[in-house]
Amino acid sequence: MNSPLEKILRAKPLVYTLIILPGLWPLWPLFVAPNPSVLADPLKYVLHHLGFVACLLLVIVLTLTPLRVIFPQSRPVLALNRHRRLVGVSAFVYAALHFSTHLLYEGGFRVLASDVKKPFLLTGLIAFTILLLLAATSFNRMVQILGAKRWKNLHRLAYVAAALVAYHQAAARKLFPVQVLWIFIPLALLELARIAITVQQKRHAATSARMG
Amino acid sequence: MLIRTPKDWELSESSATAEAVYRLRNRREFLKTLGAGLAGVALAPHGLLAATAGFPSKENPLFPASALKPTAYEFITSYNNFYEFGTGKDDPAKYANRGWKTEPWTVELAGLIRAPATFDVNALVAKIGGLEQRVYRHRCVEAWSMVVPWDGFPLAKLVALADPKPEAKFLKFTSFLDPKNAVGQQDSYLGWPYVEGLRLDEAVNELAFIATGIYGKPLPNQNGAPLRLVTPWKYGFKGIKSIVKIEFTDRAPLNTWQRLAPNEYGFYANVNPQVDHPRWSQASERVIGGGIFAGRQTTLMFNGYEKQVAGLYKGLDLTQNY
Repeated sequence: MNSPLEKILRAKPLVYTLIILPGLWPLWPLFVAPNPSVLADPLKYVLHHLGFVACLLLVIVLTLTPLRVIFPQSRPVLALNRHRRLVGVSAFVYAALHFSTHLLYEGGFRVLASDVKKPFLLTGLIAFTILLLLAATSFNRMVQILGAKRWKNLHRLAYVAAALVAYHQAAARKLFPVQVLWIFIPLALLELARIAITVQQKRHAATSARMG
Repeated sequence: MLIRTPKDWELSESSATAEAVYRLRNRREFLKTLGAGLAGVALAPHGLLAATAGFPSKENPLFPASALKPTAYEFITSYNNFYEFGTGKDDPAKYANRGWKTEPWTVELAGLIRAPATFDVNALVAKIGGLEQRVYRHRCVEAWSMVVPWDGFPLAKLVALADPKPEAKFLKFTSFLDPKNAVGQQDSYLGWPYVEGLRLDEAVNELAFIATGIYGKPLPNQNGAPLRLVTPWKYGFKGIKSIVKIEFTDRAPLNTWQRLAPNEYGFYANVNPQVDHPRWSQASERVIGGGIFAGRQTTLMFNGYEKQVAGLYKGLDLTQNY
């Protein structure tokens, strides 16, 4: 019954590859085809790259649920939804690497004191803390411990993290980087569609209940 | 016993070695990466060379190379902010060498002066009396720094040539406008052309410099050929590139970055480790070419030129006038 596309999308090794490869990308301009513009400040390049990948993975994992709500019959969408935890945890791993690189780049933990005073850095710090919390509670057992409803509410913090990351990324450059729009507008549209559908379904259910 | 305390601006030995190894190992890739455009600048005798190639420059002993550790030519010419050619650091090296002509080039002196004139750059350099080399620290507002061996002439000589009237208090510098060849100017976000300004007393300070070259070679296009402003005690964005006009005025010109974000960038833009950028600290800086483990170095007041310029700002609240 499974279509070839669905089979591919269900495969864990493929997802692992797709998640790990972007992390190795900086090796290219640093070692394989050295780019002087990157070598000028290699750590800054690595820092920005890791943050960018973390942000993309966070956005990708957040699109999976809306896609499932909008296309409940689509088998490829359902296949992709199997990887939600893996993608979510890898977003945290990249964020952790990004944060560690930031510490190395700034020369240690000392910088955190001044970080909390600057919205650009504080937003990143809070978003990272949220992802840490969500990764730490990503195990099946945690759902039992917390209870499904509480667990779900806690994991809705991922949306807060995404909003903070959007600001964090926009504030990172001297001028507003247009890529932020490319990354976050599709996510926002998907979320709006999802909310609209959910509201409609609830209303429908309420009407049916009254009729029944 | 003599204990040598390393100065804040000195790089570690390890980073110097890395740089030398880098040069040897990557020369070929470097040329490949930057493509025919920059290779042309480095190798070709004519054509892409900036206008001021014909003037050998002499080291000014007051600002010698031995006092600082110059950043590799490859980095100075490939890690640039020149939004006229894109916002990526590697954009200018790519896009400023695709047909944008910096020769012939004229500069206009205008405004409240007794000797308004338009000069061909070569004629101007000849009139000024040739070039000298000065090795300056260069500190970007983005908290990175380089050391650049500039070739050029003191701005004070240009001011003398213009012969300002008593009411002239400021200089307004304007860069070129050529959206056809400058891809970044095809977007209007910055409001072209780029504009910068100095107070007249800043302009005649001994440090203020008009650069026409680096490392004894004419300025590559991506560094602001054929002539640009260098004010080493200020953040790099004050160093307007590819100047076409210098106007003497009685009021402070509104410089491009101040117009765009007045809460982040002011008129003065003096390097000041105590006044942070709203989004990042200015207390320290990353040294370009230092490699991954070089760490940061402390940023010096007025970028280490306090002795020469502190007097210009006596009584001025530098936290308000950033």
